[in-house]
Amino acid sequence: MSKASVIYDKFDRHSHAQGLKGHATHYCPGCGHGLAHKFLAEAIDELGVQDRTVAVSPVGCSVFLYYYFDVGNTQAAHGRAAVVALGHKFANPNSVVVSYQGDGDLASIGLAETIATAQLGAPITVIFINNAIYGMTGGQMAPTTLMGQSSSTSPTGRNISNGQPMKMAEIIAGLDGPIYVERVALYDAKQRIRAKKAIQKALRLQVEGRGYSFIEVLAECPTHLKMSPEETEMWVRDFMQPVFPLGVLKDMTVDPWFKPNPPSFDGNLILSLTGATYEHPVRHCEGFPTHLAPHDISLKLAGSGGDGAQTAAMLIARSAINEGFDATHIPSYGPESRGGTSYADVHVAAEEVLNPGSPNPQVLIAFNAPSLAKFGPSVRKGGVVIYDSTVVSEAPVLDPSIKVFPVPFTGIATDLGKAVVKNIVALGALQAATGIFPKETFLTAIRVALKDKCALVPLNEEAFAWGIKSVEALAQ
Amino acid sequence: MALKERPKPFLLPEYCKGCGRCIDACAKDCITLSDQVNSLTGLIPVVLDLTNCNACGLCMDACPEPYGLRPAEEGPHQKFELEDPAKLFGVRPSDAPEPVDVPAQVLPLAATEPLVIKGTYASAIGAILAGCRHVYGYPITPSTEGAELMARFLPKLDGTFLQAVSEVAAVNMMYGTAGAGLPTMTFTSSPGFSLMLEGVSYMIGSELPGVFVDVMRGGPGLGNIAPEQSDIKLACHGLGHGNTQAIVLAPSTPQEMLDLTILAFELSFKYRNPVVILSDGYLGQMTGKVKLPGTLRKPGVPKWAVYGDAEHRKNVISSIYLTESDLEAHNVHLNSKYEAMGSEARSEAYLCDDADVVLVACNTPARTAKGAVQELRHQGVKAGLFRPITLWPFPIDALKSALQGASRLVVVEASAGQLEDEVRLALSRAGVRDYPEIESVRRMGGILPQQDEITTRVLSRKGVLA
Repeated sequence: MSKASVIYDKFDRHSHAQGLKGHATHYCPGCGHGLAHKFLAEAIDELGVQDRTVAVSPVGCSVFLYYYFDVGNTQAAHGRAAVVALGHKFANPNSVVVSYQGDGDLASIGLAETIATAQLGAPITVIFINNAIYGMTGGQMAPTTLMGQSSSTSPTGRNISNGQPMKMAEIIAGLDGPIYVERVALYDAKQRIRAKKAIQKALRLQVEGRGYSFIEVLAECPTHLKMSPEETEMWVRDFMQPVFPLGVLKDMTVDPWFKPNPPSFDGNLILSLTGATYEHPVRHCEGFPTHLAPHDISLKLAGSGGDGAQTAAMLIARSAINEGFDATHIPSYGPESRGGTSYADVHVAAEEVLNPGSPNPQVLIAFNAPSLAKFGPSVRKGGVVIYDSTVVSEAPVLDPSIKVFPVPFTGIATDLGKAVVKNIVALGALQAATGIFPKETFLTAIRVALKDKCALVPLNEEAFAWGIKSVEALAQ
Repeated sequence: MALKERPKPFLLPEYCKGCGRCIDACAKDCITLSDQVNSLTGLIPVVLDLTNCNACGLCMDACPEPYGLRPAEEGPHQKFELEDPAKLFGVRPSDAPEPVDVPAQVLPLAATEPLVIKGTYASAIGAILAGCRHVYGYPITPSTEGAELMARFLPKLDGTFLQAVSEVAAVNMMYGTAGAGLPTMTFTSSPGFSLMLEGVSYMIGSELPGVFVDVMRGGPGLGNIAPEQSDIKLACHGLGHGNTQAIVLAPSTPQEMLDLTILAFELSFKYRNPVVILSDGYLGQMTGKVKLPGTLRKPGVPKWAVYGDAEHRKNVISSIYLTESDLEAHNVHLNSKYEAMGSEARSEAYLCDDADVVLVACNTPARTAKGAVQELRHQGVKAGLFRPITLWPFPIDALKSALQGASRLVVVEASAGQLEDEVRLALSRAGVRDYPEIESVRRMGGILPQQDEITTRVLSRKGVLA
């Protein structure tokens, strides 16, 4: 048929269109790419989507697809065309994105991207040119090379030690994501008509926002199969086709669904997501708690995952910042998701926290015996240690200058009906033992943290009060 | 009669590669291979004898060449074979107007109380305020919270967060989004950044913007998830293959995680080049006070973006320059951008004016070093801190000023000398020969230098106390 209008009038990008290169492709005589290009170009023309089409050129012989197609063009790294296509599709949902890839690109180096993109199912169109050989690099074994087929890297023929050919259409059709998968060929007039129709359908399903389509095209590579173009057509028919049977492997009816809204740039919406507040919190401190340190107080909270050490640390940091001080909190976890170690280093500074780590804290809150044993000896002279006396039966001997407060965090919390508030008991104990901030400072931070779970506020307030009471009882 | 209306084929022999697909497609045996080599192509084209042709069109369907067998239409087309092909097909692929920039809009943002958030969150919120709505990533400690926040926020802003199959896929999704001219970013940590470098090289080659937040952790290999300044060398001198450079920003507080992320997007679009933010495992996880800016950005569409419309499809996103002289010219162009990026050098000098001992540190170790400076001053040592905020380009002019009058130069870092190498290279490139012998305080493996290690090092040399 006549040249599709999607094909450039002149191939300016092909060696600057010097001589015949302005109108001849770089493909070898008899190569299947030319036909696949032509059918794709005709489909774009017939669907009238040239103004929306973006083609992703892969690495391989079709690396220069962008020489020929007068559409938006992006050239991708080897194997990555499908994910580049996704990146464009999400940026520009109205686009019609085609990822055009060969067998090395799609079925070898880009296998992870190929499969994951297919399973994602976002509406893009993947055209897979399978010619059973590497073309651009010069005739090496492809993932789709047939058993017994010789290539420069399977010189005596592909055998079992090279693995068997990848049947990509079957693999892709076996996934839930794709809606349309067909394998076609180019070796005679009948197959070419089918190929053309399949490519057009695959594109149409995308234009309609229905889903991901995959067309595998069995193509000829006369140069590297070392045959005449006509012999190659027969080889595809007689040898490739039995291994890669033609036909529709998947064709689901899906209603159009891909209609993303344009992104929002609503500042107030963004602020509400961040939880930002507009009102300055009431301050309760009269000044920096210099009775603990002149400029910078170092704390460590240590326990197991689930003890709430990190939440308590965060509440201390928020309390400090609400009071106009600087604060930092650094969490540190063991490899376990639950039940492993969970430590938090907290600093509260009058001006600026300079050393956010707490290798020698002034205050240690220990939620279990190993934490107390590990960090107790690192507490500075004159420091404070508060630990959960429900779970620690025997406290280690510490420097006599250190004030030690055994408080039954877990016992109190359990009596209150919820063991998870033991960290709030600990905060109450911290307040009473150190006077780092007034009670109200902590309570404000707790209420703000629970602003979406108001029902839990009384329980937490009670836990906090019990922490204070326990320390006061120890003092008496 | 429909049959007679269909066009018969015609062929310019120069555009025939002689593959012969049309020969078997023709049921009437109208097409044969020529017996002569075409002198322009060196190939043997087919010849047409249309005596028996019924214009079925199958030969044209079979021809793989766009300018091969085509319908012979009536009238002047009969003369095609006599004309120069270049004249026939025109010289430009498009006469559409040149694309123009659609500028970004700066919108006001209401004033709020400072947030108390961790560094990765601060960076993510910075990216959202910079207009980024497309984030791709793969979970890796200690950077994952940034991706998690994006996964929560972006759907509510009709943006895209996609967890990719790997870092390799993530960076290439960024490549696709960046090609459409939109801001995009990822959060990763050292091993993941290694995997992304292929894509970073392609983005630089194709001149695509994008922001990479690398929350550095201990290495090599799997290493551990504790903080190390392990990727300074990679970010400054190893961004994949080829002649690659990118601006490298080194925040040292959660506030800077936000501020420098916003800056990174701006620089990334200004230079059409990726920007790397090197954070560290402490800073990524560290919660601190973060003030939000008074504005946010709604991105525009740069003129170079690829879309399918007639204007923008003149653009191409590609890093291939097959002709050697073209690739050399492209590299000359990249070098001129790298040189221009030199003006972006940023640093902070703390008490360096009269400093006798200048500490050099970045990221979290810079905070500790600042504490050490205060302690040393307290003990009567004239110490100062020079903190590079851009590691590439290295702020060499500012370092030179900071070193005026200094008799000692101490590099404090959580790596085996990667920052020191940057200092040495910058001094060497600037032709500075006369500088104090470089001393170092180094920790590795996920341990940061502590304040007392720095002060001990400084005080260990005799005569340091005035």
